[in-house]
Amino acid sequence: MALTKVKFENFTAFKDLEVEFSPGINALIGANGTGKTHLMKACYAACDVFRTGDDFARKLIGIFLPSRRSGNRLVQRGNDQETGKVTVHIGNYPMFASFEEYGTSSGGGLVVRTDGPKQTVYVPVKKMLANAPGFLSLYAAREIHFEEVYQDILHRAYLPPLRGPVDALHERLLDSIRTVIGGEITVNGEEFFLIGEQGDLEFTLLAEGWRKLGLLWLLIRNGTLQKGSVLFWDEPETNLNPKMYGIVMNVLLELQRAGVQIFFATHDYVVLKELDLQMTDDDKVAFHSLYRDEETGEIACRTTGEYLDIRPNAIDEAFDDIYDRQIKRSLGGLVG
Amino acid sequence: MTVFTEGNLQIAVSDAVSVRKFDDDAHGLSHCMKAVDFIIELPDRFLFIEFKDPDAPGVPPPARAEFVESLLEGRRDEDFKYKYRDSFLYEWAAGRAHKPIYYLVLIAQHDLSPGDMTRRTTALERILPLSLPGSVAWTRPIVDGCGVFNIATWNRYFPDYPITRLP
Repeated sequence: MALTKVKFENFTAFKDLEVEFSPGINALIGANGTGKTHLMKACYAACDVFRTGDDFARKLIGIFLPSRRSGNRLVQRGNDQETGKVTVHIGNYPMFASFEEYGTSSGGGLVVRTDGPKQTVYVPVKKMLANAPGFLSLYAAREIHFEEVYQDILHRAYLPPLRGPVDALHERLLDSIRTVIGGEITVNGEEFFLIGEQGDLEFTLLAEGWRKLGLLWLLIRNGTLQKGSVLFWDEPETNLNPKMYGIVMNVLLELQRAGVQIFFATHDYVVLKELDLQMTDDDKVAFHSLYRDEETGEIACRTTGEYLDIRPNAIDEAFDDIYDRQIKRSLGGLVG
Repeated sequence: MTVFTEGNLQIAVSDAVSVRKFDDDAHGLSHCMKAVDFIIELPDRFLFIEFKDPDAPGVPPPARAEFVESLLEGRRDEDFKYKYRDSFLYEWAAGRAHKPIYYLVLIAQHDLSPGDMTRRTTALERILPLSLPGSVAWTRPIVDGCGVFNIATWNRYFPDYPITRLP
């Protein structure tokens, strides 16, 4: 079962928002402060507890990390509402959590279910792999101010490789990443290394973009990203050379074709354009444009399957402005 | 007002000193020199104009897709460059390149985005080139400005020379 829908009521940035998802790729765009990351984090939390049986509300608090871990701080501010609520639908199964001044409550996630996402992974903007050694022990023993996604991503990355041969599709994806980064990733102790022609290179000495592709390689190699898994990736373009975007989008499209449901948030024109140029009619892609409604001031979302139909398109609007200034500079007084 | 047609596209020009279809039979050197489609002379400048129409009715989808891909990958830039340069040389030899010249490329492709147009404009600026050599003092640039447009942005920037698609 894939994620089908999320509904927010007075939760963090959202007053009342409902978004339906594609079982394939879900690309989230929107200006800063329109809730892209919040949406992904809430959905990730639901997927994770669906699989583990953890409490949904507790997981949300761990992932959003409100001050003093107070769930009521997740209630939307400034509109006199006392209750904030998130409902995530996995298939037809609703998972909900609500937060109010004097407590939290959850529903739907207290029993381990096996018919939901096989595995779920959230790749945050800030990368942890280079600073991984000792982090999990520290996180378990001390109250350090890191959102739970940083612990979770390390747990996923530390998973050993799958037993037996890798299927043809995954081998092809591994090979395309291996070609770019010049080797394979291994874990020694709690340290990550790139093993290539130049020997083993610790992640602290590796370009950030390579670390990102290396993480993707690990998640494919250890079976985290397989049919029935869900991947959340916040700004895959961060620290990556734009020439690499085509490879990343190709890998995401191939994973989607293999049955992985994917969510990513982006601010980058080339990322979206690569997706648009590489996707075929058979691919299941939804573009979700998050924006502030001019009349209400509240966050709204418009979903489309067509790149050209993305409205509003915060990325294109930025390019509109750049194009306008470019033309005016290039043509001098010819245009006003 | 002067109206010119190139395939299914029509441009109407008002208040110009002259408007010429440049790549027609009168060119006389089409076997060895490339040519832009139109030259508009204004009181203070020339506009060299090139039209490409991948959205024209009758263009087979594979041909359109090939054009779009080559455009976005920059493989059309050299063609645009030599069309301009040869036209500039032709007009210079004819003694008609005495005003600043602006090169405008219209790509009648409905899904050509601002990002695509910005990239192609920047590429043309680089290769025409727009800049002067640092080591030698030129008395004028080869081109004074350039821009790549779709029909919508063309009509926004040049309301006096509207482009329409004929039915």
